[in-house]
Amino acid sequence: MQWTTIFKKEMLEYARNYSWIWVPIVFIILAIMDPLTTYYLPKILDTVGGLPEGATFDIPQPPPAQALYMSLSEFSMFGVVIVVLITMGTIAGERQSGVAELVLVKPVGYFTYISSKWAAKLLLIWSSYIVGMLASWYYVNLLFGEIAFTTVVQVILFYGLWLTLVTTITIFFNTLVKTPLLVGFLSIAVMIAMSVVNSVFSHRLIWFPNNLSSYILQMMDTGTIPTDLWATALIIIGLIVVLLVAALFTFRTREMAN
Amino acid sequence: MAMINVEKLKKQFDDKDVVKGLSFSLAPGKCVALLGPNGAGKTTTLRLLSGLLKPSSGSIQFEGINQTADIRAHIGYLPQYPIFHEWMTGKEFLVYVGQLAKLSKTEASERADQLLEKVGIAEAKHRRTGKYSGGMKQRLGIAQAMIHKPALIMLDEPVSSLDPIGRREVLTLMEELKQDTTILFSTHILSDAEEISDDLLLMHQGQIVESGSIRELQNKYQTDKIHVAFQVKADTYLDKLQALPSITEAGRGRTGRNSVTSRRYWPGPCTNYAVSCG
Amino acid sequence: MEIAEVLPILAPLFLLEAILAIVAIISWFKTDETNGPKWMWLLIILLISIIGPILFFVIGRRQR
Repeated sequence: MQWTTIFKKEMLEYARNYSWIWVPIVFIILAIMDPLTTYYLPKILDTVGGLPEGATFDIPQPPPAQALYMSLSEFSMFGVVIVVLITMGTIAGERQSGVAELVLVKPVGYFTYISSKWAAKLLLIWSSYIVGMLASWYYVNLLFGEIAFTTVVQVILFYGLWLTLVTTITIFFNTLVKTPLLVGFLSIAVMIAMSVVNSVFSHRLIWFPNNLSSYILQMMDTGTIPTDLWATALIIIGLIVVLLVAALFTFRTREMAN
Repeated sequence: MAMINVEKLKKQFDDKDVVKGLSFSLAPGKCVALLGPNGAGKTTTLRLLSGLLKPSSGSIQFEGINQTADIRAHIGYLPQYPIFHEWMTGKEFLVYVGQLAKLSKTEASERADQLLEKVGIAEAKHRRTGKYSGGMKQRLGIAQAMIHKPALIMLDEPVSSLDPIGRREVLTLMEELKQDTTILFSTHILSDAEEISDDLLLMHQGQIVESGSIRELQNKYQTDKIHVAFQVKADTYLDKLQALPSITEAGRGRTGRNSVTSRRYWPGPCTNYAVSCG
Repeated sequence: MEIAEVLPILAPLFLLEAILAIVAIISWFKTDETNGPKWMWLLIILLISIIGPILFFVIGRRQR
Protein backbone atom coordinates (compact mmCIF):
# COMPACT_ATOMS: atom_id res chain seq x y z
CA MET A 1 0.00 0.00 0.00
CA GLN A 2 1.35 3.40 -0.99
CA TRP A 3 0.36 5.05 2.26
CA THR A 4 2.48 2.69 4.35
CA THR A 5 5.29 2.92 1.80
CA ILE A 6 5.61 6.66 2.33
CA PHE A 7 5.03 6.32 6.08
CA LYS A 8 7.80 3.74 6.39
CA LYS A 9 10.13 5.82 4.23
CA GLU A 10 9.57 8.72 6.63
CA MET A 11 10.32 6.47 9.61
CA LEU A 12 13.55 5.35 7.97
CA GLU A 13 14.43 8.96 7.26
CA TYR A 14 13.91 9.94 10.92
CA ALA A 15 16.18 7.10 11.92
CA ARG A 16 18.90 8.03 9.41
CA ASN A 17 18.83 11.73 10.27
CA TYR A 18 18.79 11.05 14.03
CA SER A 19 15.36 12.61 14.55
CA TRP A 20 14.38 9.61 16.65
CA ILE A 21 17.17 10.53 19.06
CA TRP A 22 17.28 14.29 19.17
CA VAL A 23 13.60 15.19 19.10
CA PRO A 24 12.70 13.07 22.17
CA ILE A 25 15.76 14.40 24.01
CA VAL A 26 14.77 17.98 23.30
CA PHE A 27 11.22 17.32 24.49
CA ILE A 28 12.49 15.71 27.69
CA ILE A 29 14.81 18.64 28.36
CA LEU A 30 12.00 21.13 27.74
CA ALA A 31 9.64 19.20 30.00
CA ILE A 32 11.90 18.75 33.00
CA MET A 33 13.85 21.98 32.89
CA ASP A 34 11.32 24.23 34.61
CA PRO A 35 10.19 21.86 37.37
CA LEU A 36 13.85 21.09 38.16
CA THR A 37 15.07 24.68 38.21
CA THR A 38 12.05 25.83 40.19
CA TYR A 39 12.76 23.24 42.82
CA TYR A 40 16.50 23.68 42.96
CA LEU A 41 17.00 27.36 42.28
CA PRO A 42 16.52 28.51 45.88
CA LYS A 43 18.72 25.68 47.09
CA ILE A 44 21.40 26.33 44.51
CA LEU A 45 21.40 30.03 45.28
CA ASP A 46 21.64 29.12 48.90
CA THR A 47 24.71 27.00 48.29
CA VAL A 48 26.63 29.18 45.88
CA GLY A 49 24.99 32.54 46.25
CA GLY A 50 27.14 33.83 49.10
CA LEU A 51 24.20 35.41 50.85
CA PRO A 52 24.77 37.28 54.08
CA GLU A 53 24.69 35.16 57.17
CA GLY A 54 21.18 34.45 58.35
CA ALA A 55 19.40 35.50 55.12
CA THR A 56 17.20 32.75 53.76
CA PHE A 57 15.09 32.38 50.70
CA ASP A 58 11.49 31.84 51.30
CA ILE A 59 10.08 30.96 47.95
CA PRO A 60 6.99 28.83 48.30
CA GLN A 61 7.12 25.66 46.20
CA PRO A 62 4.24 25.41 43.70
CA PRO A 63 1.67 22.62 44.04
CA PRO A 64 2.29 19.52 41.86
CA ALA A 65 -0.33 20.48 39.24
CA GLN A 66 1.35 23.86 38.79
CA ALA A 67 4.73 22.19 38.43
CA LEU A 68 3.46 19.81 35.73
CA TYR A 69 1.83 22.76 34.00
CA MET A 70 5.27 24.36 33.65
CA SER A 71 6.13 21.64 31.14
CA LEU A 72 3.10 22.57 29.06
CA SER A 73 4.16 26.22 29.15
CA GLU A 74 7.58 25.27 27.80
CA PHE A 75 5.96 23.20 25.06
CA SER A 76 3.68 26.11 24.17
CA MET A 77 6.74 28.27 23.57
CA PHE A 78 9.71 26.18 22.49
CA GLY A 79 7.88 22.91 21.80
CA VAL A 80 5.79 24.65 19.17
CA VAL A 81 8.91 26.12 17.56
CA ILE A 82 10.52 22.68 17.43
CA VAL A 83 7.37 21.17 15.91
CA VAL A 84 7.30 23.87 13.22
CA LEU A 85 11.02 23.52 12.52
CA ILE A 86 10.90 19.77 12.01
CA THR A 87 7.70 19.89 9.96
CA MET A 88 8.36 22.90 7.72
CA GLY A 89 10.31 20.95 5.13
CA THR A 90 8.43 17.70 4.99
CA ILE A 91 6.64 18.46 1.72
CA ALA A 92 8.03 21.87 0.76
CA GLY A 93 11.59 20.55 1.03
CA GLU A 94 10.88 17.69 -1.35
CA ARG A 95 9.30 20.06 -3.82
CA GLN A 96 12.11 22.56 -3.52
CA SER A 97 14.88 20.03 -3.97
CA GLY A 98 13.11 18.28 -6.84
CA VAL A 99 12.67 14.82 -5.29
CA ALA A 100 8.91 15.39 -5.45
CA GLU A 101 9.23 15.38 -9.22
CA LEU A 102 10.27 11.73 -9.09
CA VAL A 103 7.80 10.77 -6.38
CA LEU A 104 4.73 12.49 -7.76
CA VAL A 105 5.10 11.25 -11.34
CA LYS A 106 4.31 7.88 -9.85
CA PRO A 107 0.60 7.20 -9.42
CA VAL A 108 0.47 8.45 -5.83
CA GLY A 109 -2.72 10.07 -4.58
CA TYR A 110 -2.12 13.55 -3.26
CA PHE A 111 -4.05 12.83 -0.11
CA THR A 112 -2.02 9.67 0.42
CA TYR A 113 1.13 11.75 0.12
CA ILE A 114 -0.03 14.50 2.48
CA SER A 115 -1.71 12.33 5.10
CA SER A 116 1.09 9.78 5.35
CA LYS A 117 3.61 12.55 5.92
CA TRP A 118 1.29 14.18 8.44
CA ALA A 119 0.85 10.92 10.32
CA ALA A 120 4.57 10.20 10.31
CA LYS A 121 5.41 13.61 11.79
CA LEU A 122 2.69 13.15 14.40
CA LEU A 123 4.12 9.81 15.45
CA LEU A 124 7.54 11.38 15.96
CA ILE A 125 6.11 14.41 17.76
CA TRP A 126 3.66 12.50 19.96
CA SER A 127 6.29 9.94 20.98
CA SER A 128 8.74 12.67 21.92
CA TYR A 129 6.10 14.66 23.70
CA ILE A 130 4.81 11.66 25.68
CA VAL A 131 8.33 10.73 26.75
CA GLY A 132 8.87 14.34 27.83
CA MET A 133 5.65 14.47 29.83
CA LEU A 134 6.37 11.17 31.55
CA ALA A 135 9.81 12.45 32.54
CA SER A 136 8.24 15.62 33.89
CA TRP A 137 5.64 13.59 35.80
CA TYR A 138 8.43 11.53 37.35
CA TYR A 139 10.22 14.62 38.65
CA VAL A 140 7.02 16.32 39.80
CA ASN A 141 6.11 13.23 41.81
CA LEU A 142 9.58 13.11 43.24
CA LEU A 143 9.97 16.78 44.11
CA PHE A 144 6.55 18.38 44.46
CA GLY A 145 4.04 15.71 45.33
CA GLU A 146 1.88 13.10 43.76
CA ILE A 147 -0.20 13.44 40.61
CA ALA A 148 -2.43 10.51 39.63
CA PHE A 149 -1.42 8.59 36.53
CA THR A 150 -4.90 9.00 35.02
CA THR A 151 -4.59 12.78 35.39
CA VAL A 152 -1.29 12.75 33.54
CA VAL A 153 -2.81 10.64 30.76
CA GLN A 154 -5.69 13.12 30.44
CA VAL A 155 -3.27 16.04 30.37
CA ILE A 156 -1.16 14.32 27.69
CA LEU A 157 -4.14 13.50 25.50
CA PHE A 158 -5.70 16.94 25.67
CA TYR A 159 -2.54 18.97 25.27
CA GLY A 160 -1.39 16.65 22.46
CA LEU A 161 -4.24 18.10 20.41
CA TRP A 162 -2.51 21.46 20.52
CA LEU A 163 0.74 20.04 19.13
CA THR A 164 -1.32 18.17 16.52
CA LEU A 165 -2.93 21.45 15.48
CA VAL A 166 0.47 23.10 15.16
CA THR A 167 1.71 20.19 13.04
CA THR A 168 -1.35 20.39 10.81
CA ILE A 169 -1.01 24.15 10.33
CA THR A 170 2.60 23.61 9.26
CA ILE A 171 1.59 20.78 6.91
CA PHE A 172 -1.04 23.06 5.41
CA PHE A 173 1.55 25.74 4.62
CA ASN A 174 3.77 23.02 3.20
CA THR A 175 1.19 22.53 0.46
CA LEU A 176 0.84 26.25 -0.14
CA VAL A 177 4.44 27.37 -0.63
CA LYS A 178 7.54 25.44 -1.47
CA THR A 179 10.24 27.16 0.56
CA PRO A 180 10.66 25.47 3.95
CA LEU A 181 11.76 28.70 5.65
CA LEU A 182 8.68 30.50 4.36
CA VAL A 183 6.52 27.62 5.59
CA GLY A 184 8.10 28.01 9.02
CA PHE A 185 7.66 31.77 8.98
CA LEU A 186 3.98 31.58 7.97
CA SER A 187 3.22 28.88 10.56
CA ILE A 188 4.85 30.86 13.37
CA ALA A 189 3.06 34.02 12.18
CA VAL A 190 -0.27 32.21 12.42
CA MET A 191 0.58 30.96 15.92
CA ILE A 192 1.44 34.51 17.00
CA ALA A 193 -1.73 35.89 15.39
CA MET A 194 -3.79 33.29 17.21
CA SER A 195 -2.33 34.18 20.58
CA VAL A 196 -2.92 37.89 19.91
CA VAL A 197 -6.52 37.22 18.94
CA ASN A 198 -6.89 35.11 22.03
CA SER A 199 -5.51 37.72 24.39
CA VAL A 200 -7.75 40.40 22.89
CA PHE A 201 -10.97 38.44 22.70
CA SER A 202 -10.42 35.73 25.30
CA HIS A 203 -13.55 36.63 27.28
CA ARG A 204 -15.70 36.29 24.16
CA LEU A 205 -14.04 33.40 22.37
CA ILE A 206 -14.15 31.05 25.29
CA TRP A 207 -13.51 27.94 23.18
CA PHE A 208 -10.64 29.43 21.18
CA PRO A 209 -7.88 26.80 20.72
CA ASN A 210 -5.35 28.84 22.72
CA ASN A 211 -7.49 28.47 25.84
CA LEU A 212 -6.81 24.73 25.87
CA SER A 213 -4.02 24.78 28.45
CA SER A 214 -5.86 26.98 30.94
CA TYR A 215 -8.76 24.48 30.90
CA ILE A 216 -6.24 21.68 31.33
CA LEU A 217 -4.91 23.45 34.43
CA GLN A 218 -8.49 23.81 35.62
CA MET A 219 -8.98 20.09 35.07
CA MET A 220 -5.93 19.28 37.18
CA ASP A 221 -7.13 21.57 39.95
CA THR A 222 -10.72 20.34 40.08
CA GLY A 223 -10.14 16.72 39.17
CA THR A 224 -12.98 16.76 36.63
CA ILE A 225 -12.96 17.55 32.93
CA PRO A 226 -14.61 20.94 32.40
CA THR A 227 -17.19 21.20 29.61
CA ASP A 228 -15.20 24.07 28.15
CA LEU A 229 -12.24 21.72 27.75
CA TRP A 230 -14.33 19.25 25.78
CA ALA A 231 -15.70 22.04 23.61
CA THR A 232 -12.26 23.54 22.95
CA ALA A 233 -10.86 20.08 22.16
CA LEU A 234 -13.66 19.43 19.68
CA ILE A 235 -13.04 22.76 17.98
CA ILE A 236 -9.36 21.92 17.66
CA ILE A 237 -10.18 18.51 16.17
CA GLY A 238 -12.56 20.23 13.74
CA LEU A 239 -9.83 22.70 12.74
CA ILE A 240 -7.38 19.86 12.17
CA VAL A 241 -9.81 18.11 9.82
CA VAL A 242 -10.59 21.34 7.96
CA LEU A 243 -6.88 22.14 7.57
CA LEU A 244 -6.12 18.66 6.22
CA VAL A 245 -8.90 18.92 3.65
CA ALA A 246 -7.76 22.45 2.76
CA ALA A 247 -4.21 21.14 2.36
CA LEU A 248 -5.46 18.55 -0.11
CA PHE A 249 -7.26 21.18 -2.16
CA THR A 250 -4.36 23.61 -2.26
CA PHE A 251 -1.99 20.79 -3.12
CA ARG A 252 -4.18 19.69 -6.02
CA THR A 253 -3.95 23.11 -7.59
CA ARG A 254 -0.16 23.22 -7.18
CA GLU A 255 2.10 22.24 -10.00
CA MET A 256 4.76 19.80 -8.99
CA ALA A 257 7.40 21.32 -11.20
CA ASN A 258 8.14 24.77 -12.44
CA MET B 1 -2.65 3.48 -34.30
CA ALA B 2 -1.33 6.16 -32.02
CA MET B 3 -0.48 5.69 -28.40
CA ILE B 4 -0.81 9.30 -27.39
CA ASN B 5 -2.73 12.02 -29.10
CA VAL B 6 -1.84 15.52 -28.11
CA GLU B 7 -4.11 18.24 -29.35
CA LYS B 8 -3.66 21.98 -29.21
CA LEU B 9 -1.69 21.70 -26.03
CA LYS B 10 -0.92 25.09 -24.55
CA LYS B 11 0.91 26.22 -21.46
CA GLN B 12 1.34 29.71 -20.11
CA PHE B 13 3.48 30.86 -17.22
CA ASP B 14 2.53 34.34 -16.04
CA ASP B 15 1.34 35.50 -19.46
CA LYS B 16 4.32 33.94 -21.15
CA ASP B 17 3.35 31.33 -23.73
CA VAL B 18 5.85 28.55 -23.36
CA VAL B 19 3.97 25.92 -25.28
CA LYS B 20 1.78 27.35 -28.03
CA GLY B 21 -0.63 24.76 -29.25
CA LEU B 22 1.12 21.48 -29.86
CA SER B 23 -0.61 18.74 -31.79
CA PHE B 24 1.09 15.47 -32.44
CA SER B 25 0.73 11.79 -31.85
CA LEU B 26 3.19 9.13 -30.87
CA ALA B 27 3.10 5.64 -32.31
CA PRO B 28 3.75 2.73 -29.96
CA GLY B 29 7.17 1.10 -30.05
CA LYS B 30 8.90 4.10 -31.55
CA CYS B 31 11.75 6.12 -30.20
CA VAL B 32 10.94 9.75 -30.77
CA ALA B 33 13.26 12.69 -30.30
CA LEU B 34 11.89 16.05 -29.30
CA LEU B 35 14.53 18.23 -30.83
CA GLY B 36 14.93 21.94 -30.35
CA PRO B 37 17.19 24.64 -28.98
CA ASN B 38 17.23 25.57 -25.31
CA GLY B 39 14.11 27.49 -24.39
CA ALA B 40 12.00 25.87 -27.12
CA GLY B 41 9.61 24.44 -24.51
CA LYS B 42 10.79 20.82 -24.55
CA THR B 43 10.97 20.38 -20.78
CA THR B 44 7.58 22.01 -20.32
CA THR B 45 6.09 19.69 -22.94
CA LEU B 46 7.45 16.60 -21.21
CA ARG B 47 6.25 17.82 -17.83
CA LEU B 48 2.79 18.42 -19.28
CA LEU B 49 2.71 14.88 -20.68
CA SER B 50 3.88 13.42 -17.36
CA GLY B 51 1.20 15.25 -15.40
CA LEU B 52 3.67 17.34 -13.39
CA LEU B 53 2.25 20.46 -14.99
CA LYS B 54 -1.32 21.17 -15.86
CA PRO B 55 -2.08 22.33 -19.42
CA SER B 56 -3.55 25.80 -19.84
CA SER B 57 -5.65 24.31 -22.62
CA GLY B 58 -5.68 21.41 -25.01
CA SER B 59 -5.78 17.70 -24.39
CA ILE B 60 -3.50 14.74 -23.92
CA GLN B 61 -5.22 11.48 -24.67
CA PHE B 62 -3.61 8.12 -24.02
CA GLU B 63 -5.04 5.46 -26.30
CA GLY B 64 -6.97 2.77 -24.50
CA ILE B 65 -6.81 4.53 -21.16
CA ASN B 66 -9.84 6.10 -19.62
CA GLN B 67 -9.57 9.87 -19.64
CA THR B 68 -10.23 10.04 -15.93
CA ALA B 69 -7.74 7.29 -15.05
CA ASP B 70 -4.34 8.10 -13.60
CA ILE B 71 -2.03 8.24 -16.60
CA ARG B 72 0.97 8.30 -14.31
CA ALA B 73 0.71 4.53 -13.95
CA HIS B 74 1.61 4.15 -17.62
CA ILE B 75 4.48 6.55 -17.95
CA GLY B 76 7.98 6.81 -16.65
CA TYR B 77 9.73 10.15 -16.46
CA LEU B 78 13.31 11.22 -16.06
CA PRO B 79 13.87 14.92 -15.33
CA GLN B 80 16.94 16.63 -16.75
CA TYR B 81 18.58 16.72 -13.32
CA PRO B 82 17.11 13.86 -11.29
CA ILE B 83 17.26 14.47 -7.53
CA PHE B 84 17.08 11.57 -5.11
CA HIS B 85 16.87 11.33 -1.36
CA GLU B 86 20.58 11.34 -0.79
CA TRP B 87 20.34 9.39 2.44
CA MET B 88 18.80 6.46 0.58
CA THR B 89 20.77 3.84 -1.33
CA GLY B 90 20.09 3.37 -5.02
CA LYS B 91 18.30 0.11 -4.35
CA GLU B 92 16.19 1.59 -1.56
CA PHE B 93 15.10 4.44 -3.77
CA LEU B 94 14.07 2.11 -6.60
CA VAL B 95 12.10 -0.11 -4.24
CA TYR B 96 10.47 2.99 -2.76
CA VAL B 97 9.28 4.44 -6.07
CA GLY B 98 8.44 0.93 -7.30
CA GLN B 99 6.06 0.50 -4.40
CA LEU B 100 4.64 3.95 -5.09
CA ALA B 101 3.94 2.67 -8.60
CA LYS B 102 1.87 -0.08 -6.97
CA LEU B 103 4.34 -2.94 -7.16
CA SER B 104 4.49 -5.24 -4.14
CA LYS B 105 7.64 -5.03 -2.07
CA THR B 106 9.03 -8.29 -3.48
CA GLU B 107 8.18 -7.31 -7.05
CA ALA B 108 9.75 -3.91 -6.58
CA SER B 109 12.87 -5.44 -5.08
CA GLU B 110 13.31 -7.98 -7.91
CA ARG B 111 12.63 -5.37 -10.53
CA ALA B 112 15.09 -2.99 -8.85
CA ASP B 113 17.84 -5.62 -8.97
CA GLN B 114 17.19 -6.34 -12.65
CA LEU B 115 17.21 -2.68 -13.58
CA LEU B 116 20.30 -1.86 -11.54
CA GLU B 117 22.02 -4.64 -13.47
CA LYS B 118 20.67 -3.37 -16.77
CA VAL B 119 21.70 0.24 -16.28
CA GLY B 120 25.08 -0.90 -15.03
CA ILE B 121 25.18 0.37 -11.45
CA ALA B 122 24.52 -2.93 -9.68
CA GLU B 123 27.79 -2.70 -7.76
CA ALA B 124 26.73 0.67 -6.28
CA LYS B 125 23.23 -0.33 -5.26
CA HIS B 126 23.96 -0.30 -1.53
CA ARG B 127 25.69 3.06 -1.65
CA ARG B 128 23.92 6.28 -0.74
CA THR B 129 22.74 8.18 -3.81
CA GLY B 130 24.39 11.28 -2.34
CA LYS B 131 27.70 9.66 -3.28
CA TYR B 132 26.71 8.92 -6.90
CA SER B 133 28.38 10.63 -9.84
CA GLY B 134 26.35 12.47 -12.47
CA GLY B 135 26.38 9.50 -14.83
CA MET B 136 25.29 7.11 -12.08
CA LYS B 137 22.43 9.43 -11.13
CA GLN B 138 21.33 9.53 -14.75
CA ARG B 139 21.30 5.72 -14.87
CA LEU B 140 19.46 5.45 -11.60
CA GLY B 141 17.06 8.00 -13.04
CA ILE B 142 16.44 5.82 -16.07
CA ALA B 143 15.95 2.80 -13.82
CA GLN B 144 13.35 4.60 -11.69
CA ALA B 145 11.50 5.62 -14.84
CA MET B 146 11.38 1.96 -15.95
CA ILE B 147 10.53 0.39 -12.59
CA HIS B 148 6.83 -0.16 -13.24
CA LYS B 149 7.22 -1.23 -16.89
CA PRO B 150 5.49 1.84 -18.25
CA ALA B 151 4.16 1.86 -21.81
CA LEU B 152 5.95 5.16 -22.42
CA ILE B 153 9.09 6.59 -20.94
CA MET B 154 10.00 10.21 -21.26
CA LEU B 155 13.57 11.36 -20.80
CA ASP B 156 14.45 15.02 -20.55
CA GLU B 157 17.89 15.67 -22.05
CA PRO B 158 19.14 12.27 -20.90
CA VAL B 159 22.67 12.68 -22.21
CA SER B 160 23.40 16.37 -22.40
CA SER B 161 24.91 16.68 -18.94
CA LEU B 162 27.17 13.66 -19.33
CA ASP B 163 30.77 13.35 -20.36
CA PRO B 164 31.50 11.59 -23.68
CA ILE B 165 31.86 8.16 -22.10
CA GLY B 166 28.72 8.45 -19.98
CA ARG B 167 26.91 9.81 -23.00
CA ARG B 168 27.88 6.86 -25.15
CA GLU B 169 26.83 4.41 -22.42
CA VAL B 170 23.44 6.00 -21.90
CA LEU B 171 22.79 6.12 -25.65
CA THR B 172 23.59 2.43 -25.90
CA LEU B 173 21.26 1.80 -22.98
CA MET B 174 18.47 3.71 -24.69
CA GLU B 175 19.07 1.67 -27.83
CA GLU B 176 18.36 -1.43 -25.72
CA LEU B 177 15.32 0.08 -24.03
CA LYS B 178 13.83 0.83 -27.43
CA GLN B 179 13.12 -2.86 -27.82
CA ASP B 180 10.75 -2.94 -24.84
CA THR B 181 9.03 0.38 -24.68
CA THR B 182 8.11 3.61 -26.41
CA ILE B 183 10.58 6.38 -25.72
CA LEU B 184 10.15 10.12 -26.04
CA PHE B 185 13.28 12.05 -25.26
CA SER B 186 14.26 15.65 -25.60
CA THR B 187 17.59 16.86 -26.86
CA HIS B 188 19.15 19.89 -28.43
CA ILE B 189 21.77 17.88 -30.24
CA LEU B 190 20.84 16.71 -33.72
CA SER B 191 23.34 13.89 -33.85
CA ASP B 192 21.90 12.29 -30.70
CA ALA B 193 18.46 12.46 -32.22
CA GLU B 194 19.65 11.01 -35.50
CA GLU B 195 21.54 8.27 -33.79
CA ILE B 196 18.80 6.55 -31.84
CA SER B 197 15.43 7.94 -32.78
CA ASP B 198 13.00 6.70 -35.39
CA ASP B 199 10.98 9.87 -35.49
CA LEU B 200 11.68 13.51 -34.86
CA LEU B 201 9.54 16.27 -33.46
CA LEU B 202 11.21 19.56 -34.14
CA MET B 203 10.31 22.18 -31.64
CA HIS B 204 10.97 25.89 -31.80
CA GLN B 205 9.53 28.68 -29.67
CA GLY B 206 6.79 26.54 -28.24
CA GLN B 207 5.67 25.01 -31.48
CA ILE B 208 6.24 21.85 -33.43
CA VAL B 209 7.67 23.14 -36.67
CA GLU B 210 8.31 19.83 -38.34
CA SER B 211 7.79 16.17 -37.63
CA GLY B 212 8.23 12.84 -39.27
CA SER B 213 10.67 10.01 -39.51
CA ILE B 214 14.31 10.84 -39.92
CA ARG B 215 14.25 9.43 -43.45
CA GLU B 216 11.20 11.47 -44.45
CA LEU B 217 12.75 14.63 -43.16
CA GLN B 218 16.00 13.89 -44.89
CA ASN B 219 14.21 13.29 -48.16
CA LYS B 220 12.21 16.41 -47.76
CA TYR B 221 15.05 18.73 -47.01
CA GLN B 222 18.00 16.93 -48.39
CA THR B 223 20.13 18.89 -50.77
CA ASP B 224 23.38 17.74 -52.13
CA LYS B 225 26.47 18.79 -50.44
CA ILE B 226 29.49 18.82 -52.56
CA HIS B 227 32.85 18.56 -51.05
CA VAL B 228 35.60 19.63 -53.32
CA ALA B 229 39.25 19.33 -52.56
CA PHE B 230 41.79 21.41 -54.35
CA GLN B 231 45.46 20.98 -54.86
CA VAL B 232 45.95 24.68 -54.39
CA LYS B 233 44.56 27.23 -51.98
CA ALA B 234 40.81 26.84 -52.18
CA ASP B 235 39.77 30.34 -51.22
CA THR B 236 40.23 31.63 -54.73
CA TYR B 237 37.52 29.29 -55.97
CA LEU B 238 35.00 30.17 -53.35
CA ASP B 239 33.40 33.03 -55.22
CA LYS B 240 33.24 31.04 -58.39
CA LEU B 241 31.48 28.18 -56.65
CA GLN B 242 29.08 30.56 -55.00
CA ALA B 243 28.19 32.00 -58.37
CA LEU B 244 27.19 28.62 -59.79
CA PRO B 245 23.45 28.05 -60.13
CA SER B 246 21.66 26.13 -57.34
CA ILE B 247 24.50 26.52 -54.90
CA THR B 248 23.10 28.29 -51.90
CA GLU B 249 26.11 28.48 -49.77
CA ALA B 250 29.74 27.77 -50.06
CA GLY B 251 32.36 27.87 -47.41
CA ARG B 252 35.58 26.40 -46.32
CA GLY B 253 35.05 23.03 -44.73
CA ARG B 254 36.62 21.66 -41.64
CA THR B 255 39.03 19.55 -43.57
CA GLY B 256 41.47 22.30 -44.36
CA ARG B 257 42.35 25.23 -46.42
CA ASN B 258 42.40 23.33 -49.64
CA SER B 259 38.81 22.19 -49.60
CA VAL B 260 35.48 23.85 -50.07
CA THR B 261 32.09 22.64 -48.98
CA SER B 262 28.86 23.92 -50.32
CA ARG B 263 25.52 23.09 -48.83
CA ARG B 264 22.10 24.26 -47.87
CA TYR B 265 20.76 24.77 -44.44
CA TRP B 266 17.40 23.66 -43.20
CA PRO B 267 14.84 26.32 -43.89
CA GLY B 268 12.72 28.28 -41.51
CA PRO B 269 13.40 28.70 -37.85
CA CYS B 270 15.57 25.61 -37.67
CA THR B 271 18.68 27.13 -39.08
CA ASN B 272 20.61 26.03 -36.03
CA TYR B 273 20.55 22.49 -37.33
CA ALA B 274 22.88 22.12 -40.16
CA VAL B 275 22.04 19.04 -42.07
CA SER B 276 24.65 17.28 -43.98
CA CYS B 277 23.91 14.59 -46.43
CA GLY B 278 26.69 12.64 -47.89
CA MET C 1 22.02 21.60 50.81
CA GLU C 2 25.23 20.47 49.17
CA ILE C 3 26.12 20.28 45.49
CA ALA C 4 26.55 16.58 46.02
CA GLU C 5 22.89 16.28 46.91
CA VAL C 6 21.71 18.27 43.89
CA LEU C 7 23.89 16.51 41.40
CA PRO C 8 22.22 13.06 41.19
CA ILE C 9 18.91 14.65 40.31
CA LEU C 10 20.31 17.23 37.92
CA ALA C 11 22.64 14.67 36.34
CA PRO C 12 20.05 13.36 33.83
CA LEU C 13 19.68 16.88 32.46
CA PHE C 14 23.42 17.17 31.85
CA LEU C 15 23.51 13.66 30.43
CA LEU C 16 20.75 14.49 27.93
CA GLU C 17 22.57 17.65 26.91
CA ALA C 18 25.71 15.63 26.38
CA ILE C 19 23.94 12.98 24.28
CA LEU C 20 22.36 15.72 22.19
CA ALA C 21 25.75 17.28 21.52
CA ILE C 22 27.39 13.92 20.77
CA VAL C 23 24.68 12.88 18.31
CA ALA C 24 24.95 16.29 16.65
CA ILE C 25 28.71 15.86 16.31
CA ILE C 26 28.27 12.38 14.79
CA SER C 27 25.77 13.80 12.33
CA TRP C 28 28.09 16.75 11.66
CA PHE C 29 30.92 14.38 10.95
CA LYS C 30 28.88 12.30 8.50
CA THR C 31 27.22 15.16 6.72
CA ASP C 32 28.61 16.08 3.29
CA GLU C 33 27.15 19.52 2.98
CA THR C 34 26.20 22.12 5.54
CA ASN C 35 24.53 25.47 5.10
CA GLY C 36 27.52 27.70 5.65
CA PRO C 37 31.06 26.65 6.61
CA LYS C 38 31.24 23.23 8.17
CA TRP C 39 33.69 24.20 10.94
CA MET C 40 31.36 26.99 12.01
CA TRP C 41 28.66 24.43 12.76
CA LEU C 42 31.04 22.44 14.94
CA LEU C 43 31.64 25.58 17.00
CA ILE C 44 27.90 26.22 17.24
CA ILE C 45 27.24 22.66 18.40
CA LEU C 46 30.01 22.79 21.00
CA LEU C 47 29.58 26.31 22.30
CA ILE C 48 25.82 26.81 22.47
CA SER C 49 24.36 24.17 24.70
CA ILE C 50 21.07 22.54 23.64
CA ILE C 51 20.19 25.25 21.11
CA GLY C 52 23.39 24.74 19.09
CA PRO C 53 22.73 21.05 18.33
CA ILE C 54 19.04 21.78 17.61
CA LEU C 55 19.99 24.53 15.15
CA PHE C 56 22.41 22.18 13.46
CA PHE C 57 19.80 19.42 13.15
CA VAL C 58 17.11 21.64 11.67
CA ILE C 59 18.96 24.19 9.56
CA GLY C 60 22.63 23.21 9.55
CA ARG C 61 22.37 20.06 7.51
CA ARG C 62 21.51 20.17 3.87
CA GLN C 63 19.08 17.32 3.52
CA ARG C 64 17.26 15.98 0.55
